[in-house]
Amino acid sequence: MSLISCQHISKRFGTKTALDDVSVEIPQGQIFGLLGPNGAGKTTLIRIINRILIQNEGAVLFDGRPITREDVARIGYLPEERGLYRKMKVGEQAKYLAQLKGMSASEASAELKKWFQKFGIASWWNKKVEELSKGMAQKVQFITTVVHRPSLLILDEPFSGFDPVNAQLIRDEILALKDQGATILLSTHNMESVEQLCDNIALINKSRVVLAGSVEQIRRDYGQHHRSVEYTGKPLAAVPGLFELVSDEDADERRKAMLKPALGTDNTALLQALLAQEVNILSFSETTARMNDIFISLVQS
Amino acid sequence: MNLRTIRVIIAREYFNKVKKKSFLIITFVVPVLFALMTILPALIMLFAKEESKKVQVLDRSAVVQPYLTDNALATYTFSPSDASVDSLKSALPNSGQDILLVITPDSDSLFNLKAETYSLKPLGEGVKGELQARIRQAVKDKRIEDYGINGLPAIVENVESRLTVRSYTLNEQGQETVSESGVFMTVSMILGMMIFLFITLFGGGVMSSVIEEKASRVVEVLISSVRATELMFGKIIGVALVALTQFSLWIVLTAALIGLAGGMIGKDLLTRENVQAMTEMADSGAMGMHPDLSVSSAGDLMTTLASMPWGEIILCFFVYFLFGYLLYASLFAAIGSAVENEADTQQLQIPLTIPLMLGFFISIVAFRAPDSPVVFWGSMIPFTSPIVMLARLPFGVPAWEIAVSIVLLLLTVLLCAWASAKIYKVGILMFGKKGSFKDLWKWLKMK
Repeated sequence: MSLISCQHISKRFGTKTALDDVSVEIPQGQIFGLLGPNGAGKTTLIRIINRILIQNEGAVLFDGRPITREDVARIGYLPEERGLYRKMKVGEQAKYLAQLKGMSASEASAELKKWFQKFGIASWWNKKVEELSKGMAQKVQFITTVVHRPSLLILDEPFSGFDPVNAQLIRDEILALKDQGATILLSTHNMESVEQLCDNIALINKSRVVLAGSVEQIRRDYGQHHRSVEYTGKPLAAVPGLFELVSDEDADERRKAMLKPALGTDNTALLQALLAQEVNILSFSETTARMNDIFISLVQS
Repeated sequence: MNLRTIRVIIAREYFNKVKKKSFLIITFVVPVLFALMTILPALIMLFAKEESKKVQVLDRSAVVQPYLTDNALATYTFSPSDASVDSLKSALPNSGQDILLVITPDSDSLFNLKAETYSLKPLGEGVKGELQARIRQAVKDKRIEDYGINGLPAIVENVESRLTVRSYTLNEQGQETVSESGVFMTVSMILGMMIFLFITLFGGGVMSSVIEEKASRVVEVLISSVRATELMFGKIIGVALVALTQFSLWIVLTAALIGLAGGMIGKDLLTRENVQAMTEMADSGAMGMHPDLSVSSAGDLMTTLASMPWGEIILCFFVYFLFGYLLYASLFAAIGSAVENEADTQQLQIPLTIPLMLGFFISIVAFRAPDSPVVFWGSMIPFTSPIVMLARLPFGVPAWEIAVSIVLLLLTVLLCAWASAKIYKVGILMFGKKGSFKDLWKWLKMK
C-alpha cells in the first residue's frame, strides 16, 4: 500500500509549468528514488508533498486520505538547499527544529542527546554552528531531520558534503530507518546510490514522469535481455532461431560475448546450445543496464 | 495558525536576540548616553565658569583700556602694557599670559575699532565673543561718561527692560493654565523621535532576521514544519518584544543613572540657574531655534507638563507604535525575503526609508507649527502618521482626527501585512538571485 500517493499533480508558476499531470506512488516501508535532471520539477514535487507549496491541480494522499497541514509533523525533510543558524548553539537549535515538528522541549532534548551519542558528537552540543566544518554541520542537520521519528523521510541529495566514511554512516542509518518501518523518498543525482538503496523510482523530465517502476525491473528492461558470456575455447558462432551474436571479443586469456536471444528462448536452451559448441563457460548472466546510462538516454532523447 | 509553534518561534527570536552581545551593549550604553545628555549641560555650566584667561592688552586708542574691567567671576584678567607689538608677541610664550589683545582705533571717534588677538592656542568662539562684548561695553561706558551728564549711567540702565513671556491656554470654561511652549516642543520632539527610532531600528531588525534565515538556508527546513506566515509573524512579534524589553530597560536604567549622578554631583546641579541653562541648551542645541526662548520657572514647567493629556498620549503612543511597527516590520520582512545579504537591500529599502524620513521631517514642523496643513495631512496618511501624530499630540488633537488616522493606519497595516506575507512566502524560496521590484510584484500576484 502507498504511504504517499500523488495523483495528477500540476503546478504552474505564472506561465511556467513546473509539474504537468504527475502521478507517483510511494509504497509504505520502501526507499523510493525520485530522479530527474536539474529543473525537471523534483523540488517542486517535494515541496508540494511537504505542503510548502500547494498544487494547482491534483491531490496528495497521505496514508490513503488527503494530506493536511498536521501531517507534516510526520515528515522529516532534508532539503537540498539546507543549512542551520550559524550563530546559534547546535543543541539549542536542534531542539528548536524538533519543537517545530511538534516535540516537547524535554522529549526533544532526550531524543537528541541519544542521537548525538550515537553519532559520537555529544561534545558539540554547546558549540555554535559556525565553529563546525561543513561535514560536521551536515551530521547535525541529518539528526534534526530524523529526530522526531517521521514516518516519511524526504532526503534531497543526502550524501552531498559528506566524506566517504560519513556517507557510509548515513547510508547505514537510512537502511536502519527503513528496517524500523520508515518510508524514504530519496532524491539524488548519484545513480550508484539509487542502485544500492532504492526499491522503486520515478524519473521526472521536463515536468512529467517519464519512467517509473522497480529498479530491478527497469534495469533488466533497459538491459535489453542480453546475456553476457565469459568463456575459453574457440569463438562462438550464432545459432539462427536461438541467438545472435552482438559482440565477441578477446579479453586476456578468455573471451567475452554478448548474445541476443531470439524471442521465447529460455536460459536452459541457450546454455545447451553454447555447450554444444565445445567451449568452457566461465560465467553466464543476464545483463542489466546501469541506472546512469538509463538516466542519460532518457533525458537526452 | 498554530499558537504552539508561533510561541516556539517567538521564544527563539526573542532569546536569540536578547542573549546577543550587541543587545547587552546597546542596552547599557544608551542609558549612559541619555544620562550624560541630561547631566552634561549642567556639568558644562558648572565647569565652564572655571575657565580663566589672562589677557595682555596693548591699547593704541588709549581709551578702551581703563574701561576693560576684570570680570566679577574672575574669568578674564586684563593687564595693560605699552611695549611694542613685536616685543609682546615674542614674549608671549614666556609671559604667563594666554592672549595678547591689540586694540587699534580706525578713526578718532572710536566709532570703528579694530582688535587683534594673538594666542598660542586657537581661541574658542566663546572667548572671541566675550572679548568682543567686553570691548564694546568698554567703549559704551567710555562714551556715556564722556557726555558728562550727571546720572546718565543710571538713566541708561533704566532704559533697558527685562521681558518675560508667560503663555496661558484657556479652555472652554475660561480656565487658564500656564503652558510653556518649550515644554510642548520638547515632549513632542521626544515622542516623534522615539517612534521613528523604534520603527527604523526594529523594523530593520526583522529584515536582518529574515535575511539571516534565507542566507543560511535554514528557511526551507523551517517552512516544512510551520507555515511561512507563522514564521513571519512569529518573528515580527518576537522582535517587538525585544524592542519593548530594550525600551523598558532604557527607561529604568536612565532614570537610575540620572538619580545616581544627581545624588553624587550634589543638589546645586538642580538649582534654578542650572535648570534654566539646561533648558536653554537643550532647546537651542536641539534645533537651533529660539535661542532667546523665555525661560520659565520650574513651577511653570511642571504645570505645563501636568496639563498635557498624558492618558491620551500614552495610549496613542502604544497604538501608533504597535501599528506603525507592524506596518513597517511586515514590509521590511517582505524586502528581506527577496535578498540573501544586507547589502542588496539598499535599493529595495528606498520606498520604506523615504516615508519614514518624511514623517520625521514633518514631525519637526509639527513641534514648531502644530496646526499647519502639512502636519495635519502627515498625521492622517498612514505611512507618516505614527510619527507625525505623536509629535502633534502634546498640543491637543481632536478625537475624531485621531480616530480617522488610526482607522486608516489599521486598514493599511492589514493590507500591507497581507501583501507582505504573500511576497515573503514566495521570496524566501527564491535562492541564488536578488529580487527586484518587478519580482516582488510578480510574487504578490502569484497564487
